[in-house]
Amino acid sequence: MVCIRKATVDDLLAMQACNLFCLPENYQMKYYLYHILSWPQLLYVAEDYNGRIVGYVLAKMEEETSECHGHITSLAVLRTHRKLGLATKLMTAAQNAMEQVFGAEYVSLHVRKSNRAAFNLYTETLGYKIHDVEAKYYADGEDAYDMRKQLKGKQ
Amino acid sequence: MGASLPPKEANLFKLIVKSYETKQYKKGLKAADAILKKFPDHGETLSMKGLTLNCMDRKSEAYELVRQGLKNDLKSHVCWHVFGLLYRSDREYREAIKCYRNALKIDPDNIEILRDLSLLQAQMRDLSGFVETRQQLLTLKPNHRMNWIGFSVAHHLNSNASKAVEILEAYEGTLEDDYPPENERCEHGEMLLYKISLLEECGLLESALEELRKKESKIVDKLEYKEQEVSLLVKLGRLEEGEVLYQALLSMNPDNYRYYEGLQKCVGLYSVNGQYSPDEIDRLDSLYKSLGQQYKWSSAVKRIPLDFLQGDKFRAAADNYIRPLLTKGVPSLFSDLSSLYNHPGKADILEQLILELEHSIRTSGQYPGRVEKEPPSTLMWTLFLLAQHYDRRGQYEVALSKIDEAIEHTPTVIDLYSVKSRILKHAGDFAAAAAFADEARCMDLADRYVNSECVKRMLQADQVALAEKTAVLFTKDGDQHNNLHDMQCMWYELASGESYFRQGDLGRALKKFLAVEKHYADITEDQFDFHSYCLRKMTLRTYVEMLKFQDRLHSHVYFEKAAAGAIRCYIKLHDSPPKSTTEEDDEMSKLLPSQKKKMRQKQRKAEARAKKEAEEKNEELNAGGASKSGKRHVKPVDPDPHGEKLLQVEDPLSEATKYLKLLQKNSPDSLETHLLAFECYTRRNKILLALQAVKRLLRLDAEHPDSHRCLIKLFHIVGSMNAPVTDGEKLIWSVLEAERSTISQLHEKSLVEANNAFLENHKDSLMHRAAFAEILSILDLNRKSEAVKLVEESTNNFVPSNGALGPIREWTLKDCIAVHKLLGTILHDQDAALRWKSRCAEYFPYSTYFEGSCSSVSPNSIYSQLSKNSEHESSNHSTGSQNAGPIKSNGKLDAFKDLTI
Repeated sequence: MVCIRKATVDDLLAMQACNLFCLPENYQMKYYLYHILSWPQLLYVAEDYNGRIVGYVLAKMEEETSECHGHITSLAVLRTHRKLGLATKLMTAAQNAMEQVFGAEYVSLHVRKSNRAAFNLYTETLGYKIHDVEAKYYADGEDAYDMRKQLKGKQ
Repeated sequence: MGASLPPKEANLFKLIVKSYETKQYKKGLKAADAILKKFPDHGETLSMKGLTLNCMDRKSEAYELVRQGLKNDLKSHVCWHVFGLLYRSDREYREAIKCYRNALKIDPDNIEILRDLSLLQAQMRDLSGFVETRQQLLTLKPNHRMNWIGFSVAHHLNSNASKAVEILEAYEGTLEDDYPPENERCEHGEMLLYKISLLEECGLLESALEELRKKESKIVDKLEYKEQEVSLLVKLGRLEEGEVLYQALLSMNPDNYRYYEGLQKCVGLYSVNGQYSPDEIDRLDSLYKSLGQQYKWSSAVKRIPLDFLQGDKFRAAADNYIRPLLTKGVPSLFSDLSSLYNHPGKADILEQLILELEHSIRTSGQYPGRVEKEPPSTLMWTLFLLAQHYDRRGQYEVALSKIDEAIEHTPTVIDLYSVKSRILKHAGDFAAAAAFADEARCMDLADRYVNSECVKRMLQADQVALAEKTAVLFTKDGDQHNNLHDMQCMWYELASGESYFRQGDLGRALKKFLAVEKHYADITEDQFDFHSYCLRKMTLRTYVEMLKFQDRLHSHVYFEKAAAGAIRCYIKLHDSPPKSTTEEDDEMSKLLPSQKKKMRQKQRKAEARAKKEAEEKNEELNAGGASKSGKRHVKPVDPDPHGEKLLQVEDPLSEATKYLKLLQKNSPDSLETHLLAFECYTRRNKILLALQAVKRLLRLDAEHPDSHRCLIKLFHIVGSMNAPVTDGEKLIWSVLEAERSTISQLHEKSLVEANNAFLENHKDSLMHRAAFAEILSILDLNRKSEAVKLVEESTNNFVPSNGALGPIREWTLKDCIAVHKLLGTILHDQDAALRWKSRCAEYFPYSTYFEGSCSSVSPNSIYSQLSKNSEHESSNHSTGSQNAGPIKSNGKLDAFKDLTI
């Protein structure tokens, strides 16, 4: 069983370690601090029964644009903790907070074209749709799908 | 600003300031030069030019100009302010504060300088100064929201929460009734939640709850509202209301186990250590049964009862819990259950249970008592679970046979190889562990998790070069080949530092350990920008939480490991200095003192010159590659990529002391901290500080073998000291006398007697016997053979257990390796060490260290037959000389060539 709860500042080092262990896109600690000190409601962690952080979602609000919307900066679940539905639970928690606290109209995210597993999760389980393709979005030259999901109350 | 200039130049001066603020440094530089053409001595312009150059990475010129500017115009607050900003950019905060204070003497009401000063005070935790400055800012500009908030936060940080509340209430008094407007609702809600948390901190729980409810409509974050409300209700003892609220929170998120804990507290069924009476267990059982009805999809309601249930009820619940997860194939099942292994008896029940499931599926394809057929994968996941179970119990042979069977059953499941790798690591075969991790990695080259795990195993097997080549498959960032350091990948740096240390490469090891230390310094630095940012964003609760996090940042485990690693390097460096410097010392020692001094001066000058040249070179590079924004494109060249310069420290122990002090401050509850302190201080002949370390060890764990070692060693050193002569020595002597009489282990005993008593108390423990033997040989060189005999006579008993598949022994591989080192390198008995080695090879057949018959160093092992053509390095830890060479062409690694991620 894994606990899904809001992240605290004390979780950030473990979130960074989790990110570095399993994802190719990494961020310095200051970026995590920036997220939690801007939108503390939008960071969630998955903590296993031994207190280890095995997944997280790092999200933010895009406040400069005309339509207020949220953006998923990073989502990770350790390979060892697949098949528990953690990604779905983390995403749902962050999306709810975006809508409830900030009144977001929709959520956006980027995903590698080649990442079928994530793509399926976003389209089939979570209801995201392809909005655009961003060519060479990633450092290694791969394209990204720019995906969006309208939030419930706003449809 | 620029007051003494004629209008045209005064405008130019404003342009410099504006360009600086908008980061258009080239433009600013042009303007500065235009003024200086006419007024070459104009202090403020010189200063601003310096500040601009500082942003263009031309540091040495910057300092020169700023100093010159200040010298030409000592009465200018601008010059002092600029000097402060320059220091600030170099993280010299104390100096910067001094400069700002000088500036404020000239212009006491300058808001910009006051604001800059307040940021530094927050950063340096000069809290009373921070309160003072924030008060001045509020007095000067009371119509700014930020100044009210800043003043309040300052008081809060300065431990005056009630004053902080007063200020917030005064601020609220300035607001209209219909405040806030739509676009400030979030911020205002955050401010209210902050105020309520302050009331709670003051112990004014009733007022906090009242205020919370009164302001409900203005608090946007409804989840936080509920969590705050329930926390207050519980603190107020209003448990029935709390219970209702926890039920509401659970219906929103039935996967948050803190809510379950809270609910248990509210119904009076919570104990910190998890111990419950039979009656309480029954009540808990029915509580969770009813919760299970409500939250069918929550795994928490099924998992938590495994903690408190006992005996048959535990067995039935575990059975219920495990079956569907095996059918589904949840890889984390074992890790989820692993904490139960600390509960007496539960591991045995689990073993029997899983074996029964295995048997039933194997023979009938069904779970016991069921008619539905299980899918074929259920057997594989059951074997997977069993393998991890036996691994945990130290029965590596059984564990490996289970995982091998699982792999044979379904050879395509990556997780199986990862677990096989982990079992081999625990069993002591690091090279084989790395090979299987590599196999897992090659099965999914796009998955960084299996890559990282493989890199970790390679580093454990001291294959550093191979590990780096593997890691960088995921770390390309533009032209940059390897961004592991920039991305603060600390686990990697630590693991490679530790590997270099094992291999005796102290330079590279230090380089890695200090890199980790640097990350922590950077994180401390990261908070700077948030001191003003959070006052604007109003995320005040998180901001205060962040400051507290920063205050204990250096107690984080990665820092502790890095600091301990660095200290160990410095100790080793002290014990056996690198050759080149000792040779130099020999040369030096032939010289007269005056010549020595000259030579040192020469050396220092040469070093300074080299440093300056390097800096200039970097500046050139940067100037060439700088874009309009002045952003750096070229990374400065690392002048010491292999840490060779780090080895040339004059006094390694004083370097070590720097890190030791951080450990003592931030990790005072770790034995290791005080062990390292003991090692450093005895080497520096700081006998009282060594005594302090020993006393702390005794306080933490008086019976620990290392505590005993240090205690006796210390008083053995004291016994061999010369009689005191100077007053200082006499004082130390008397302190030692007085302290000795207070240590119960030494009370009315000689050191030999104390050592005997220690053995008497811990006769059956290998590590305690080893500590006794080591001390015996130190106290009396003639009794060395007796010491060796005592170690060899230790017996490796069976652990009492009714495990169904074979007995488990007590000794761990780690301890046995330590004893081997004791016999060989401390007691210097090579024959005994050899005997120990062959004895341990029996206990640990997979250990490469002991060259066990199943390990990859043995020619007969399955592993070495498998990889005959792969020429894998056999990791030979006993010599510590093994080096990871270039990548071996073992076929698998060809995958590197056409790898895309």
